[in-house]
Formats: sequence, structure tokens, C-alpha cells
Amino acid sequence: MSTTSVQKQGDAAAKGARSRTEPKPMTAGRILKAAFAPWASLKLTVTLLVFSMLLVFFGTLAQIDSGIWTVVDQYFWSVWVWVPMQLVVKFGQIFFNVSPTFQADPSMGFPLPGGFSLGWLLFFNLIAAHLVRFKWSLKRTGIILVHGGLILLLVGEFITRKYAVEGTMTIEEGGSSNFVIDNRKVELAVIDGSKSDVDEVTVIPQSRLRPKERIHSELLPFDVAVREFYPNSAVSEPEGWATDSANPATAGSGNRVKVVAAPVISGTASEQKVDLPSAYVSITGPKGEDLGTYLVSVWLSELSDSPDQVVTVNEHPYRLVLRLRRTYKPYTIQLKDFRHDVYVGTDTPKNYQSDVRLIDSSRGIDRETSIKMNEPMRHSGETFYQSSFLPGDRGTVLQVVKNPGWVLPYLSCILVAVGMLVQFGQHLYGFLSRRAAS
Amino acid sequence: MKSSLLLRVAPWVAAVVLVIVLGMSGRHRQSSTGMDLDAFGRLPVVDRGRVKPMDTMARNALMVISGGRTTYVDPEQKTQPAIRWLLETMTSRLLENRSADEIKCFRIENDQLLSLLDLKRREGLRYSLVEIGPKIEELAEQAERARKQEPATRDLYQVKLLELAEHLQLAFMIAKLETPLLIPPTGADDSWTTLLGAARKAVAAGKEDPSVDDPAVRGIITMLRAYRDHDDAAFNTALADYSKVVRLRVGDPEVEKASFEASFNDLQPFYYGMYFYAAAFMLTAFGWVLAKGPSGLFCNRTAFALIAIALVIHTGALISRMYIQGRPPVTNLYSSAVFIGWGCVGLGLIVEAVMGMGVGNAVAAVTGGFSLIIANFLSSGGDTLEMMQAVLDTNFWLATHVTCVSLGYTATFVAGFLGVGYVLWGMGTPLMTRPGGKFLIKVTYGVICFATLLSFVGTVLGGIWADQSWGRFWGWDPKENGAILIVVWNALILHARWGGLVKDRGIALLAIVGNMVTAWSWFGTNQLGIGLRSYGFTSGVLMLLASYVASQLILIALGLVLIPRAASGPRRTG
Repeated sequence: MSTTSVQKQGDAAAKGARSRTEPKPMTAGRILKAAFAPWASLKLTVTLLVFSMLLVFFGTLAQIDSGIWTVVDQYFWSVWVWVPMQLVVKFGQIFFNVSPTFQADPSMGFPLPGGFSLGWLLFFNLIAAHLVRFKWSLKRTGIILVHGGLILLLVGEFITRKYAVEGTMTIEEGGSSNFVIDNRKVELAVIDGSKSDVDEVTVIPQSRLRPKERIHSELLPFDVAVREFYPNSAVSEPEGWATDSANPATAGSGNRVKVVAAPVISGTASEQKVDLPSAYVSITGPKGEDLGTYLVSVWLSELSDSPDQVVTVNEHPYRLVLRLRRTYKPYTIQLKDFRHDVYVGTDTPKNYQSDVRLIDSSRGIDRETSIKMNEPMRHSGETFYQSSFLPGDRGTVLQVVKNPGWVLPYLSCILVAVGMLVQFGQHLYGFLSRRAAS
Repeated sequence: MKSSLLLRVAPWVAAVVLVIVLGMSGRHRQSSTGMDLDAFGRLPVVDRGRVKPMDTMARNALMVISGGRTTYVDPEQKTQPAIRWLLETMTSRLLENRSADEIKCFRIENDQLLSLLDLKRREGLRYSLVEIGPKIEELAEQAERARKQEPATRDLYQVKLLELAEHLQLAFMIAKLETPLLIPPTGADDSWTTLLGAARKAVAAGKEDPSVDDPAVRGIITMLRAYRDHDDAAFNTALADYSKVVRLRVGDPEVEKASFEASFNDLQPFYYGMYFYAAAFMLTAFGWVLAKGPSGLFCNRTAFALIAIALVIHTGALISRMYIQGRPPVTNLYSSAVFIGWGCVGLGLIVEAVMGMGVGNAVAAVTGGFSLIIANFLSSGGDTLEMMQAVLDTNFWLATHVTCVSLGYTATFVAGFLGVGYVLWGMGTPLMTRPGGKFLIKVTYGVICFATLLSFVGTVLGGIWADQSWGRFWGWDPKENGAILIVVWNALILHARWGGLVKDRGIALLAIVGNMVTAWSWFGTNQLGIGLRSYGFTSGVLMLLASYVASQLILIALGLVLIPRAASGPRRTG
């Protein structure tokens, strides 16, 4: 095929008009191009970019009320999203003095294509444009580099979404840990501690902990019926218990403590906190006997010293714990010292540092190192970042991340930057030489 | 050619004269006799985690308490510098200098709060301790109650009440000499401390009278006593002795740096920069009115020269801040305003050098002036050279990210203001020639290309910094989303142009929309976290943002109605 005909077709596609070229014999390449032509339009590009901006904008506003991860799922990784009108009202309330009591009708709203759809559409648009419109020449190097870099960025985000694992590891000073917890998910663990050397743990994932769900399994000594599940909850002390709402719990810690549902932590909250889920579960024994309704809560498992709740079946004790989801690791990290330096005379932190010992017998590793702000430790494809600390500097909280796609943004940045420099450099050169000529 | 030489040299002479005249106005000279308050202001102390001159400490504290002033008016109706307020306050409790309580420096603007304190509204809304004093117990009780309230549910009265309580607290801390840390360390393993801290240390070391033992403690007390007794000679002698002690203990570099910072405070380069840019804008406007003649050219060139000199001062001030802080130029919102302003002015001058016609001058003067006004507004929060949280501590990726993103915002703003220029110019149709308008849009297009590059690279560098710091390249949080909006918007303009969807007018209007997008990313996203009930300073920002957005929308509407759609679009670039 000749390059000139490609160019003309490209121009026609760009103007959204019908091709005015003379009919030419059909070839496979030509048919392919004709099929791709509508996808290659720049009008489509601009439309998709407008939708992307709307999505990002409303995805930001949505974080006034919802947690950042909910928004990521609903907006940026969805096929489409229903944007409630109340978000627009909120925007008006913050910036344009709309009355704070005004409420939009909850049924009002509008749909937007989600990030997943927009990503793919932009990708097709880009590929089609390159196939149909652009001739592969030196002059096009800049554009090709820029778009190649952008595709890498999308791929990187995709890999991160699919394969990256994030968690935190909390270690007290002098103590050690061999598991990572996921702050965004909980699990209900049933622990059989009767054997002397190991605990036998069976866990029910958060996805099953829905109200009215009844969980029956060979692995469990009893049936679990979920009565309530709160993605975030607050503790109310006995004196604060409302008289009109009965306490669902009939056994265990629930007799002492009561929890109520709390709004999930929003993405715009100035202090990032984690949600603290709770649930009320009813336990039924193997013969159908009622063993009581228990309160299980992250408040009890992670934030209090109260002993585990025990459910006894056939005179065999099992511990019942709702805890942040754990992943056990083949290595152990020991915290030797945690340091929290502040600027003199203030509370402004200057440096956080964890001096740790890493023991991985499967790899024959036993080394000491320190993890600081901006100076993570890397081990077996995972990276350990200094993230937070326990109250009173008693210990450290490390962020543990495994992301096989971490290198792609770096490459992408270089490609796009070089591409733009080449492209705009050409423009500038042309502009200046035309000016010099006139 | 004598006249052309005149037209080349005279504008610069005029600009220098203007700078000197504007720079001298409004400065109050301290009397040369009496206490050497200037030298006292240069003494290094530690406050909010960094070594700074007494003068900075005084200015910041007074600024916070008085709602944006670095001077006060004494009972004899004379304007006094912040350093005198500091000395008055420092001597007010331990040395019982009662005149300090008469200083009207606490700004109270809330009517309910004023009625609680039995005070009448007066011009300036500033009140003294003597006036607040009778009701202070009630104030404390009310503040305690407000403090128990969830921050998000406090009403305007409670917010203002707590603010006043904090300001009083700050003044008391200074009065009790608990802040700043006055006593320099005695050795490498010692740190800065308060008078009381030094006394405690001395007692712990088994000494009976710390003031006799530590020359620094003795020096401070002697100075303050001399100040209270209005004994100029004794004050100056004690000051000279104390300066030697400090120099010995903290070393020459720290002393010089503190002294440099005090000089920087005194020069107020950013404050005077506002006037330079404002004057330059007026000159440019005159130039347009006078149009073609040599006088118009003279005005335009003088404006260019004035902006160039202001830019040199602006640059010097930026470098000075970097020297004082030992950090990259952008560390907080205030410094981003100063830096973005700097970039806008620089780009505007380049545009002017390429185009002439005064458009670049106007862009430079307006953006430079406004960014400094915003910065001045932001500085009332206290120390603009504050120490950074550990996570923001300097890091190659962070430094490059912030610089790049700021320059990207800068370029987007400049493109937007060129768009505004196109609309305003096009409305008075006889003034805009067709080639002139086309040329303006070409320049705008170039600036948008530049903006796309910088905002993209800056945003990705931010992701890389995040990856380095906590292992997550992108998190879709509001600030990141704001940055990506700018990138997408610039890319959209470029694609719309390449696709022939917009012509000259369209590019100008889209560039103006870019102004709003940038404002959203820079300020808007910050407001979301504060929530629905934000008052006081932030509501001022909100007003500004809302009226800014409104003005941009009006410009777009005007452009749509008054400027005819160009017959032919730009050629597609190859």
C-alpha cells in the first residue's frame, strides 16, 4: 500500500467525514483499516477524555462520604457508575453556599462510564489511531513514544490492581512477627487450641460475613449464622446503651460491650484511619442446639486485652475471633528498636526508624537492617516501608507491599517525557524557523 | 538613531526609579538612638523546631494573634514593629511590665464573642489584654466546652472562640518565657531550652542559682530587665555581651543565617513585589490606551523593565528562602504560590519577548501580582518556613515532583490568562487584528504543550515518590486526582486542536476552563477534607475561589457571544 492513501484516509477519519478517495481494489489491509477507521477518530478521543475528567472529578467528590477503596471499586475499576445527585449538592454546599440542609432526592443521579470502560476505550482508540492514521516515520517518533508510555502506565496500573498485595505488619519493641495483616478485610477465625504445639485455625472470609448468611462447613465444628455485620463500628459502653434497642448478644463479650454501626472512613478524611468492623453471629451446634449469639469485633481482637471468647462444643473449646485478615510468611521480622525523633521543642516528627532483624531460614538469611521514611527494606519481591507506630512508641507498623508492576511507571515516565520533548521540540523548531523566515 | 536609543534606555531608568520609590514607601525607619531592637531581632532562637531570628518569631506570633499584621499601634498612636511587641510581652509577667497588657493586638471579629467579652465593635477589631481580662475566666470555661465538641460540628462562634483561646495561650507562653526556646545549647549533647529548662538543668546538676552560673540565662534576664526599666545603655551592653555568648555556643553559620533571615524579613521582597507587578500592569494598560505612538511604546517597555527587575528580586527572594530553609523551593501552599507566581512571570516575559504587544507583560503582571496576593493571604497562618513532617522530608523524587507540578500549574495558568487576553482583546474588535489573534493563539498553544509535558512528568514523579515512600504508585486520592485532571485537560485541548474540533476562539476558551481546573487542583481539593462547616480563613478562600470561577465563566460566555467563530481552523500540524 502507498503511504499517500493512508494519509488521506487518516485525514478523512480525523474530520469524521466520508473518504473521498477514488475506489481502490480491496485488500485485507484496506478492509482492516476501514473497520478500524471509526475507532480512530479524534472526536472519540476528546469525548473519552471529557468523560475521564468527569469520572475523576466525581470520584473525588465521592470521597467526601465514602472510603477511598470503595470509590476506587465503584468509579475507577467499574464498567459504569451511578453518580448520586447529592454529590453535586455537596459540592455546592462546600463551594457555593448552598444551604447545608438541602438534600437531593436519593433516586436522582446520572450514569457515567467507569474507569474500566474508559481505559479500554481509550486503549482501542489509541491503537486504532496508530493503525489507521499515523504513518510510522521518524517524524512520528515523539507521538509513538508518548502513547507507548501511556499504554505502559495503564498496563502498570492493571498489574498493580490484579497482582499487588498490600498489608501491614505490627511489631512491638523486642517482639517479632511472621504475618501480614490486611487493614481492609477481616476474617472470622475459629481456633482449636487443644493441641499443645500448633493452633488449628479455620477462617471465614469477609465476603461470607453478610447479614442472614448461614455458614455450614465440614471444617467447622458448628454452624455460624451472621445476624449483623458492620463494615465500621463504634463501641457503646453499658451506661450508654439505648433502652429501646435490645442487645443481640446472649453470650461472651457481647454481654459487657455493645457496638453500633458507624459510617465508613471517607477518602477525604484529614486523618487516615482504618475501619473497625464488627458482627453479631449466632452459633448452632452439630445437633442443632443454640450456643448463643456472640459479638465478634476488631475492637475486641485488635484493640483490647480481653481474652478470647470461647465456644464449647462437645466439651471441646474453640476460640472465636473476628480479626484483620492475616497472611503468614515464611520469614520472621524482629523489632530491635523503634526510634521516633522530633524537631527540638515540638511534636513535629523528624524521623521514624525501625531497627529490625530479618530471619528467613528457607533462604538462609539472618541479617540486621533499619527501615526509615523513604528508605524501605526489600526482601524476596516484597518491600517493607515505615508506615506508622504504636502509641507511646512501643512498636512499629510496617507497610508490606508486593507489586510485580512497580517498575512500569518509571519506564513510562521516561518514555512520555522524551516523547513530548521530541514532539513539542519539532513544533517549536518549526515555529521559530517560520518566524525567522518571515 | 537618538530617539530609538532613548526608547531603549529610558524605560529602564524609569523602572529603576519606580522600584526605588515604591520600595521606600511605607517603610518606617527605627530611630537610630535608643535600644538596638534591630540587633535584638537578629538573635537566634528555636521555635517550632527550627532556628530562626527573634524577629521572625515576633512577626509570626503577632501575625497570628492580630490577624495578619506585623506591626501594632501603641497607646501613643505610634506604629511599632513586632519585635517591640515581643519584648513587651516577654517582660509582662516575670518582670511585671504592665504596659504590655495595654497593647491592642488580639483580633476579635465575631459579634457573639465580642458580646461575651462585653466589648464594643471598633475599627480594626483589635483588643488588649486589659480589655479581655475581666471576662477571661468565662472565656476559658466556654473554650473548654467548645473543645469537647467534635471539630466538624463546631459552629462559627465556637471556632472563633477556640482561635482566640489559642492566641491568648500563645501570648501567655511568650509572657512566661516558655516559647521560644531562648537558651542555646552548651555543648554537642545539649539542646536548646527555655529559661525554666536551663534552671531545671542547673538544679539537676547540683547548682543553686542558675542565673549566676549560665551567662546566657544571665544575659537574657539582664536585657529584659533593662528593657523594662527603659535603660537604653544597659540594654545595648547586655545585648552585645549576650550576642557573644550565643555566637560562641551555636557557631557563626547559624548566627549569620538568623541575621540574614531578619534582613530578609525587613526587606519584605514578596510584599513589595505585589506593588511592582501592580504598577507594571497599570503601565501596560496605559500603553494600550496610548496605542501606537512612542509614548505607548515607552509605557510598554517600562512595564517590561519593571517586571524584569521585579523578577530578579523575586528570584533572589526565592533563593534566599531556599538558603534559609535548606530545602527545594516548594514545601507548602505558601511557597507554591510564590513559586508558581515566579514561573508565571518568567513565562510571561518570554511571551512578551517573542510577541511584543504587551500581552506577555499583562500576563506576567497579573499572574505575578495575584499569586503574591494569595501568598500574602496564606502567610497569616504563621511561619511560612515551617519544618516539614518526616514523610515530606526532602527526597529527590519529592523535590522534582513538586517543582515540576508547580511549573505545570504555572504554564496552565499562563495559557489560561493568554486565553483571557484573547477574549478581552477580541471583544474590542477593532484592536485585534486577525494575524495578531492567530499569533496569540499559537503562543497559547505552545504554552499548553509545555504545560502538558510538565504536569504529566510532575504527576508521575509524584507517583514515583509515593512508590518510594509507601509502596503505592497511585491511590486515587483527592490531591492526585486534582493533578491528573490538569494533565487530562491539557491533553484534551491538544487533541481537540489536532482533530480540528476547535479553532482559535475555541482554544482560548478551553484554556480559560483550564484556569478553573487548576484552581480546583490547587485549592479546591484541599477544601473537601475540611468538610461542610468550614469558617474563618478558609471561608475567605472559598469566597475567592467561587468569585474566581464566576469571573472565568463570565469571560467564557463573553467570548462565546462576542467573538465570531473563525471561518477556518488552524492547519493540522504535521
